[in-house]
Amino acid sequence: MFILRFLARRLFQGAIIVFLVSALIFTLLRVVPGDPVRLMAGGMAPEALIEQIATDMGLRDPIWQQFGRYMGGVMQGDLGQSFVRPANGAAVGGASFDDTTRSERAEVLTLIAETAPMTLQLALLAMVFALIIAVPIGVWGGLRPGGWPDRMALYLSSLFVSLPNFWLGIVLALILSVKLQLMPAIGYQGFAYTILPALVLAIEIAPFVIRTLTVSVAGVMRQNFIDIAGVRGLTRNQIVFRHALKNSSVPLLNLLGVQFSMLLGGVLVIEFIFDYPGLGLLTINAVMQRDFPLIQGIAIVTAAAFVLINIAVDLIATAIDPRLEY
Amino acid sequence: MLDTASETTLLSVRGLSVVADGPDGPRQILEGIGFDLKPRQILSVIGESGSGKTVLARTLASWIAAPLRVTAGQVLFKGRDLLADRAYARGLAGREIAYVGGNPAGALDPTMTVGAQLVEKLRAVRPDISASDAKAKAIRLLQAVRIPAAERRFHEYPFQYSGGMMQRAMIVDALISDPALLIADNITQPLDVTVAAQILKLMRELNSEFSTAILFICSSLPVACDASDEVMVLNKGRVVERQTPDRLTAAPQHAYTSALIAELPTLWQEGPQRRRPAATEKPIMSVRGVSKAYETRGKSGKALVQAVRHVDFDVFAGDNFGIVGESGCGKSSLMRLLTGLERPDGGQILFQGEDVGAASARRLRELRREFQLVLQDPYGSLPPQSPIGAILEEPLKIHRIGNRAERRDRARAVMSEVGLHPGLYESLPTGLSAGQRQRLNVARAMILEPSLLIMDETLSALDQTEQGKLLDLFERLQAQHGFTYIFISHDLTMVRQVCSRIAVMYLGEAVEVAPNDRLFFDPGHPYTRALLSAAPTLELRRYRPEDCLLEGEPPSPIDLPPGCAFASRCPQAFDRCRSQNPALLSRGGQALAACFLNPTNEATHV
Amino acid sequence: MSSMDITSAPPEIARERKVSTRIWQQAFASVEFRIGLIVLTLLIAAALLYPQLSGIDPTKMNIKAKLTPPVFMGEGWTWAHPLGTDQLGRDMLVRALVGLRYSLLIGVSTTVLMLLVGALIGLFAGYFGGRIDTVLMRLTDAQLSIPMIILAITILGVSRPTIPSIILVLGLAGWPVYARVMRSTVMAERKKEYVRGAMVLGATDWRIMFTLLLPLVLPPMAFVAVLDIARMMIFESVLGFLGLGVQPPTPTFGNIISDGRKYLMNAWWIATMPGVFLVLVLTSINLMGASLERARNAIYGGA
Repeated sequence: MFILRFLARRLFQGAIIVFLVSALIFTLLRVVPGDPVRLMAGGMAPEALIEQIATDMGLRDPIWQQFGRYMGGVMQGDLGQSFVRPANGAAVGGASFDDTTRSERAEVLTLIAETAPMTLQLALLAMVFALIIAVPIGVWGGLRPGGWPDRMALYLSSLFVSLPNFWLGIVLALILSVKLQLMPAIGYQGFAYTILPALVLAIEIAPFVIRTLTVSVAGVMRQNFIDIAGVRGLTRNQIVFRHALKNSSVPLLNLLGVQFSMLLGGVLVIEFIFDYPGLGLLTINAVMQRDFPLIQGIAIVTAAAFVLINIAVDLIATAIDPRLEY
Repeated sequence: MLDTASETTLLSVRGLSVVADGPDGPRQILEGIGFDLKPRQILSVIGESGSGKTVLARTLASWIAAPLRVTAGQVLFKGRDLLADRAYARGLAGREIAYVGGNPAGALDPTMTVGAQLVEKLRAVRPDISASDAKAKAIRLLQAVRIPAAERRFHEYPFQYSGGMMQRAMIVDALISDPALLIADNITQPLDVTVAAQILKLMRELNSEFSTAILFICSSLPVACDASDEVMVLNKGRVVERQTPDRLTAAPQHAYTSALIAELPTLWQEGPQRRRPAATEKPIMSVRGVSKAYETRGKSGKALVQAVRHVDFDVFAGDNFGIVGESGCGKSSLMRLLTGLERPDGGQILFQGEDVGAASARRLRELRREFQLVLQDPYGSLPPQSPIGAILEEPLKIHRIGNRAERRDRARAVMSEVGLHPGLYESLPTGLSAGQRQRLNVARAMILEPSLLIMDETLSALDQTEQGKLLDLFERLQAQHGFTYIFISHDLTMVRQVCSRIAVMYLGEAVEVAPNDRLFFDPGHPYTRALLSAAPTLELRRYRPEDCLLEGEPPSPIDLPPGCAFASRCPQAFDRCRSQNPALLSRGGQALAACFLNPTNEATHV
Repeated sequence: MSSMDITSAPPEIARERKVSTRIWQQAFASVEFRIGLIVLTLLIAAALLYPQLSGIDPTKMNIKAKLTPPVFMGEGWTWAHPLGTDQLGRDMLVRALVGLRYSLLIGVSTTVLMLLVGALIGLFAGYFGGRIDTVLMRLTDAQLSIPMIILAITILGVSRPTIPSIILVLGLAGWPVYARVMRSTVMAERKKEYVRGAMVLGATDWRIMFTLLLPLVLPPMAFVAVLDIARMMIFESVLGFLGLGVQPPTPTFGNIISDGRKYLMNAWWIATMPGVFLVLVLTSINLMGASLERARNAIYGGA
């Protein structure tokens, strides 16, 4: 069965990727200067105490030993505990264990699981906005290469791609939220708080969609089967909507797979600006606090998401264009 | 009741002129074209490239766009002018007037099944037909054009069809709406000769069965004569004559037609033959039981494609050796083995006694000075951004021959030897014609002064006149430098002209190796006879297509049947052929063939 | 028969320009390329000259002139500070222009670095294929699967950001896309006949890779890399905004906007004006890059 073999092969490759990512991040965090223990214990803590905590936490063992221990946990679905974040009472049963250094810390997996849905909501809404903005512009531009819709696509995508997301976020918050009072901007108290961040994210994604679509639609329209379809008696609408659009959707899907990391990068900055409680904000705080287990956990989860999304993209692309099945 | 005018003429073209608008003003493409086509008639339009025949086809199919423009004339279809009434013309497109082009591979949407697109097309032009009726009709027609397992093929995608099968599907696509006129524009051009012959035969049958008139556009006079009731010759945008095929070939009225006929190479008649070098008995290259298989990843996991199987032959010094076969026969794989680009899985390739397949990388590089390859594609074979001089000096640099000035002199000398102006030394090859590019390729190959030149379809991309000039050049260079040539080609007429000995390949095997005359007058393999019967020629055929023409498609090189690989298509196959593989054995006088029908063939290998 | 009767056309007909030249010429012919070029040239000239010529120090504070609005934009504007001043009375125009210098420096060096690294890796993977390809491509996938920005802020967040470390981190984080493009281009080129021709002539792999393929496939990639200069400049500003870029007091777009955010309510221009400036620069670069890309696609005849 093709699908099963495909899935098995890709999941295996994906596991290797996730492993490589973990190894990379793990090593990186331990090689670069900056001791997390000092940060945890506070600047004034005596050297001996820091060494004590570090040794207790296994941070003075050789890297490969630490990594082995860590991966062992990951295999069992344990991404470890945050260095700095306390577990809030609701999440973990009670905080009455003796081991004060460990049990009060939040589980990395819980932290990620709590914030990921928020980010998913933001990303999906942004994707919807982006497609609404970009598909008409891109398709129209591709149908009239060299004409004014094509120019407009070029100008708009060049402008959109030149808007730094954090700056755009500030400007839109200033105008739409502060001056015009149209929608809330900072924090999260309901779905309305997702709209503005999603809009900013959508404008960041849109130019890539526009560019990909103009190129691929124009490319498909030049192909022989489109050219000859009119002579075969098909109408213009049939040619554009049944054949041209279907054929140009594969590059768009691939874009999603390749640019997934760009999307996440955008999420990160935008969540930071709007103080939106998602995975991105969690990441930035983890970096600022040198919360190694949390950074590692996020890296692994995003790498896994990347792998899964790319598998899904390839499966859908194969369903659209059966030539890709091999 | 039909009115009498439309009964006698279906299509009537009157004074049609078309121009192409360009930066230098309009250029005349067609001028005052006029002809009539009766219902059910097959009319061929022939002309060389640039004669305007494709523009004519597209004008009639209402498929012309800028920069092309009709400046005068009428195209009357059943008495109404298509040019004056665009809406009427659009309503006819694909319904009453069908079109099949010369590029079957790209003619349908790759993401939809062939069947779905046939149904889509029929229902686009005939919305009254229900989806299930349309499907039934499509399958019936797929069967009519002899696509095996039509029900299953209906649900397959275009990429799963071979070129010949796709062209049949496109014919179905055209005929499915029961058109009154079919415009067939170069439909056999990309196909192998045996497949093209099948398509032509099919077209004639369909013409009588469906009573469709056919306008058959092609560039080969023999094909046109084979295919049609009447032939119309087009030259530089004008009709020069129109006659029945017999009268045209027997008594051409126009000088252009006579010249066209005189230029045709012949297979069996004693025409102006080229000098064929006398074969020596000293082999320069010996191929001994060479095999090569490639691994591919198919839908069902990994599979072996057996591209070359136990090939045996000798090439003698000073000889012209030909390797012919249709696409997929393994001649390109064999070329890669002969030139040391790949190493064989089994067997030996001895060049002057030394095994090319086993030589070390360094030794192979040294050996390369002695044998060179001239490639097929005049556009892809040259590094795109190097000046001509640099291209020619590259081999000398690689082999560290001469200093800068010597290399320059050598390059210029070779350029004039192959007929390239030495003033082109610093130009990029971008502006060169296909023929000039092939000269440059020849020059690059011979600058190392090799003894053996392998020509891989070197002339295929060139027209008849250019081919002739290059063959003259090859002859002259051979006389001057004593080269040995191996010509790898699909073109029987070319091989007939220049080669002294010829190997015929089918599915990775050399099924026949024989001297030129013997191969053409007394072939020892049914596949060779099939090739000869399908070759486009005006001569009286020695082998009639009715007796020799192949049915079906070659089996896949992945799962070859046991026995003779040709058995599944051979008109003379019997039981033994399906269980045992005949060996390539001598028929006397340097001729060898692998067929049980030859009396001497008793030994076998599997 | 003499060789002269089959001699080809006279030399001037066949003389043709190099593909790169044609791409430049075609791009230059478009309006958007020229607009981009003019705006960018003016801004670069200003960035190089104005801070020196005006003699204003971008870090010099002047509390008396603090929070001056840009010209025509509110009470108390002055031509002395065309873009106004910030909360410490520093001249916004000079700060933005100095920020532009760093932005361009980092944008260009990063792009060159990742182009070279990616091209080399892609060249090897695409040319040799097989195991080398598998290993290099798995590495590329791994790298692609971590968002670049997470990687960058992780490294820069735990170490101290300096200009070289920023260039290195962004450059190393950005190469995978180039490696992929390069690999697929090289794989396609490798199948072409001229490469086979060079092999038959006896050229070594090394020679084919570096004298035949690289000069051919690198320029079209480099044209598109212009777009990445802009993308890297955005990244640089994002890092600055997060406090992980070039450190204050050196002004960068990122840290200016980050600072200005605190005064958004009473001095909106601090956060927004430098952004307008940045958008102007980026749009010019992107317009130029897009027209180069189009010219390249038109000339290479593909997507």
